[in-house]
Amino acid sequence: MATTKFRHVFGRLWGFATSCKKSSSSNPIGTRILQRDVEKEEFQFASTLCLSSYYSVFVVRLAIMVMLAILIGLLTILTWHFTKIYTTKSLNSLAYDLRYELLQRPILRMWNILNSTSEITIAQVKLSQYVIRSHGNLTTQEDQVEMYEAMRAVTWALFASRKALNSITVKYNNGFVQAFHRDIKDNNTFYIYSDLDNYSIGASGYNNSELNYSSLSSQESSWNDNDNKSTVWYRQPLDPVTGERIGKPMQIAPEDSIHIAGLSQVPDGVASWRVAVSKFTDSPLLSAALPVWDSSNKSIVAVVGVTTALYSVGQLMKELVELHSGHMYLTSLEGYLLATSTDAPLLDNSTQPPKLKMAVDCENEVIRLGAEYLRRSSGNKFPPSHEVHVANVRLGHDRYYIDSFFLNLKRLPLVGVIIIPRKHILGQVDERAFKTLVILISASMCIIVIGWVCILILTNGVSKEMKLRAELISQLEARRKAEASSNYKSQFLANMSHELRTPMAAIIGLLDILMSDDCLTNEQCATVTQIRKCSTALLRLLNNILDISKVESGKLVLEDAEFDLGRELEGLVDMFSVQCINHSVETVLDLSDDMPKLVRGDSARVVQIFANLINNSIKFTPSGHVILRGWFENPNPCSDSANFLMEEKKLQCAQKTRAKQYENHAKRTSERDKKAVLWFEVDDTGCGIDPSKWDSVFESFEQADPSTTRLHGGTGLGLCIVRSLVNKMGGEIKVVKKEGPGTLMQLYLRLDTAGDDTEQHCLVDIANNGLVVLLALHGNIGRSITSKWLQQNGVFTMEASEWNGLTQILRELFHTRSSSGTNNGFDVHYPIPESLKSRLLSIQEIRHPVFVIAVDIGLLDLSTDIWKEQLNFLHRYLGLAKFIWVLNHDTSNTIKLELRRKGYMMTVSKPLYKAKIVHILEEVIKERNHEMQKKNMDELHVHESDYTHCDAASSDDSDISESAPCNPVSSTEKFEQFDLLSRYRINNCLIGLTDEHSEVKTPRKEDSYQNNHNSPKSLSAEQAYFPREAHQGEDSESRGKEEHRIIRGLGRPANGKKSLEGLRILLAEDTPVIQRVATIMLEKMGASVVAVGDGQQAVDALNDMLGVEDFRRDSNLNERNTRSSSPQTEILSFPSYDLVLMDCQMPKMDGYEATKAIRKSEVGSGVHIPIVALTAHAMSCDEAKCLEVGMDAYLTKPIDFKLMESTILSLTRKTTS
Amino acid sequence: MDVVTQMQRQLLQYTSSLFKEGFLDDQFNQLQQLQDESNPEFVVEVVTLFFEDAERLLNELSKSLEQESIDFRRVDAHVHQLKGSSSSIGAQRVQRVCIAFKNFCEQQNVEGCLKSLQEIKQEYSLVKTKLETLFKMEKQLFAAGGSVSR
Repeated sequence: MATTKFRHVFGRLWGFATSCKKSSSSNPIGTRILQRDVEKEEFQFASTLCLSSYYSVFVVRLAIMVMLAILIGLLTILTWHFTKIYTTKSLNSLAYDLRYELLQRPILRMWNILNSTSEITIAQVKLSQYVIRSHGNLTTQEDQVEMYEAMRAVTWALFASRKALNSITVKYNNGFVQAFHRDIKDNNTFYIYSDLDNYSIGASGYNNSELNYSSLSSQESSWNDNDNKSTVWYRQPLDPVTGERIGKPMQIAPEDSIHIAGLSQVPDGVASWRVAVSKFTDSPLLSAALPVWDSSNKSIVAVVGVTTALYSVGQLMKELVELHSGHMYLTSLEGYLLATSTDAPLLDNSTQPPKLKMAVDCENEVIRLGAEYLRRSSGNKFPPSHEVHVANVRLGHDRYYIDSFFLNLKRLPLVGVIIIPRKHILGQVDERAFKTLVILISASMCIIVIGWVCILILTNGVSKEMKLRAELISQLEARRKAEASSNYKSQFLANMSHELRTPMAAIIGLLDILMSDDCLTNEQCATVTQIRKCSTALLRLLNNILDISKVESGKLVLEDAEFDLGRELEGLVDMFSVQCINHSVETVLDLSDDMPKLVRGDSARVVQIFANLINNSIKFTPSGHVILRGWFENPNPCSDSANFLMEEKKLQCAQKTRAKQYENHAKRTSERDKKAVLWFEVDDTGCGIDPSKWDSVFESFEQADPSTTRLHGGTGLGLCIVRSLVNKMGGEIKVVKKEGPGTLMQLYLRLDTAGDDTEQHCLVDIANNGLVVLLALHGNIGRSITSKWLQQNGVFTMEASEWNGLTQILRELFHTRSSSGTNNGFDVHYPIPESLKSRLLSIQEIRHPVFVIAVDIGLLDLSTDIWKEQLNFLHRYLGLAKFIWVLNHDTSNTIKLELRRKGYMMTVSKPLYKAKIVHILEEVIKERNHEMQKKNMDELHVHESDYTHCDAASSDDSDISESAPCNPVSSTEKFEQFDLLSRYRINNCLIGLTDEHSEVKTPRKEDSYQNNHNSPKSLSAEQAYFPREAHQGEDSESRGKEEHRIIRGLGRPANGKKSLEGLRILLAEDTPVIQRVATIMLEKMGASVVAVGDGQQAVDALNDMLGVEDFRRDSNLNERNTRSSSPQTEILSFPSYDLVLMDCQMPKMDGYEATKAIRKSEVGSGVHIPIVALTAHAMSCDEAKCLEVGMDAYLTKPIDFKLMESTILSLTRKTTS
Repeated sequence: MDVVTQMQRQLLQYTSSLFKEGFLDDQFNQLQQLQDESNPEFVVEVVTLFFEDAERLLNELSKSLEQESIDFRRVDAHVHQLKGSSSSIGAQRVQRVCIAFKNFCEQQNVEGCLKSLQEIKQEYSLVKTKLETLFKMEKQLFAAGGSVSR
């Protein structure tokens, strides 16, 4: 029962749950409508993985909910079940007792009735026997009457004593009947007797002592026949109390009102029980009968019958039922109803005579149904002592308890049944239980619903978070992938660029070889030159890509070396001025004097920054100027620290203040880092950049105006590299607003200053020497800047921008001083401006003025032959002033020759910047001093001075060539060839002139030695080779940097010396062919080579060298001399090597092993011999391997002549410098 | 003199044909440039070195490849050497076959190796005869009193 209930409840719960879920899933739709778009997007983004995880979350949520529901449901049901079960049990036992008790009472009554009936019967029989015996033989009528009278009295006494008796009858064997009858309904008592007359005493058969039952039965039939026919009965009412006859006897039909027990009822002569039905009462009667034997006990004299109404039992039942409700009834074993607690008739009136009803036919519905139920459940026959107790039987619409008891009386077994409605006993309990259940269920429902809502909210949050997290993870993954792919890209680019650069270098090298070939036609030469240019451009592009990829992959490591910033920038401007002259753009370098001379940093990268910027500016500037300004971060930029730059920038004061906060910030940080903040500006007059693009131009592949790509080319990588590099150097770059057309880029770099040698020692020299400088230059900006700077440094300047102005000034200047000049065609009289006049006046105040006239070659009219006359005109002033000719890079030879012929020895190529001017002026002062000394006839000094000049010229570091008769090499042809190169290098060599002085001294001996011994062929080859290098230096600045180093190294070969002269090289190579080839190559370059066959020999050879290293160092100077005189013998005696060329694959010990061994032996000695790998593997991984084991460079087979040369040079330079 | 110029022309034609047919490459030119008064027989010397070296290597290779279990690393090293020396004198066809040979070596492909060896031998003998002819012609030219114009 419990399980079914449980199942039922669970089913209901389930239904509720599902409906709940439906509602809960459908409810939030309203709130989600807003999020639908978002969710849609999310959904689109969500991968299938995400979706499945969402489903799994959903399933988990469902499972949690179901489990919760089951738990709560179980709790509820258990609670309800236990509370109910115990009450029900106790109530049931109580109810059972009650029912038992209830039923017991009517049964007891019944029992009483039966007992009393039997007692009365027995008593009557005993009395009758006594009376009859005492009367003996009845012979007469009188005796008979007397006896009857006695009998009547006795019977009455008995009858009266028992009120419950219905009747007592006595029937004699002669047919006489005596009976007392009590009518219960109207409470009358009657005496009934038969007519005495008809009966004779001596009736036959009665005395027959040998009666047996068979005869008896025949007798009886005769009795009955007699009775029915002849007897007349009378009924006389009696006083119920006294028994006095109170009325007249009325004649009634025999057996009319009562049933007279006859002989038939006592067949065996013992008392019998039976339930009789009276015609007169509607209730069954219990009748007992006993025979009265005669004295001899042989024959039955009379039959006594006692009847008791069962009405009282019914009455009792009614009373009980009224008290307890329900129904009771008694039946006989056969099922006949004996008594019920209802008013339903017990007799079936439809038949005649009335019969007892069966319980199943009872008019009372409950009893009938109960009886039917009993009969169904246990069949018709009750087993003895079978008791039925059934609870909760549904009869009709209600539930009942049915209990039956079996009462086993002799001859009359009885069955008592009690039917009590369940409601009566458990009604309240059931109701309460139901209410409790309902309350519990509803409470648990509430809990479940709340729990579900909570779980829903909770898991919703959790699942949302999980979704977000999953998305985050996937996005992180995607980002990681993207970064990885970007990294791969950079890596790939880095590798590829390297791979591409190598063949490019080869192409360029081969083109150089081709270009140096004499037998090319002009046309071919032009084509090859074009190819050369294209290749260089391609190489530059590759370099850019490599730079960017290096920066992007974070591999770019900045060098930290000391370098002269000014010199680098001057070299840069030199280089670009060549381009600018073609564009009619003026390139001006304008560095403030407080710039630190030496800084620490990566010079190549700094140069690259400015090269890119200037290149960019030149590209977009068709005419005008490009100015590179630089100044040192000044704590107080507005103070007048004699900085003409400030004056220049008055226009830009507004933006300066804007930039000030940057500066201040930068200053603060720089003070902390002890780094100098150097500000630079690149100012051009080009097309400008749209302000909206000011930030984006620094992005990769971004150009301000894409259409310009067609016009100017370019990839948009330049500025990106610049910004990356500037940021790397701790600076910033930005485009700032500018008055007028063009672009102004401002940047600052944070560089370490190397020492604080910012004093301008060179400037002291030129001041206060009475110098008057006349600047006759094209290009307003450059001229004015130079002029201002000179004035600030105490040099008197005048300016002229064209020929006429120059002549005018010259005339005014010298004609007033000495009127020796004669007028010619060029002397045109112009009105002299007042300002000029005043200047002239002030010049006249100077004592012993030295006039320096810088004349731009462009002022001469070169298109016609007029320039010669102009030159002649100027020649007149040769004695009065020093002329400095400012040449263009394309100035023709004839002009240069002419100038030289006329004795103008001081030439300088454009552009003019401070260092050049300083140098020139120094030269001028020196020359003047020299002249003055000459006057003193100091021979020794003159010699020294000449020597210096000669040296400077012979090394061809300068194109400021003075008339030095001892210099045969500086032929005009050579001069021309080196023009471009020198333009680039001039500053380095000029500044380093004095420094190199001592260095140059020694090799000079070798130079002359070489000069004498070199074959003319090789010399020409060297000369042919040399300008190429200069070209390269010009074309690509990154390459130029390297080349620059080489060229400096090659300074000596210009005098006929071989590039690798004096180097001792150990060649470890097993293949004889390669060994031979490489040896010849190296020897051709002037190096001395020792070749060994494997790695082991190489290591041995080097170890020998290391052993003597210490000694070598001690006798360094001495040894140098020895070496220069006889290098070959020196090598034999001291096998020391400047460089090792190492093949990678060799027998015994391969190149990697050998290198490792060499490096190991070097540890602690402070020596690092450069090792160059030679390998046939052209893969970058090999290079990595080579570098890993400690090699310094890497050459691939077949050996490229140029590449080997440059590699060796760069390495040996590095170690010696 | 007529004979000399003719011979010069022949030599030039022959040399250019060698370049065109791919027997030689730029490296040979470099070799020739390296030859000067100080090393008048440089090219011949180097090439002869190459011949000796190559023959030794080819013998080694044939021996190695005939063996039951082939030591591919050894073979590879030999081929590598041959490749290096052939590339150094500019015998580029030999060099090319060497590269193929090396690939087979890495794959440990015996058949391919044997095939490549045959090819190398063939190419080697070809280039040898060509170079020998070239040197002979040069010698004749010198003997006739001419000079090689470059």
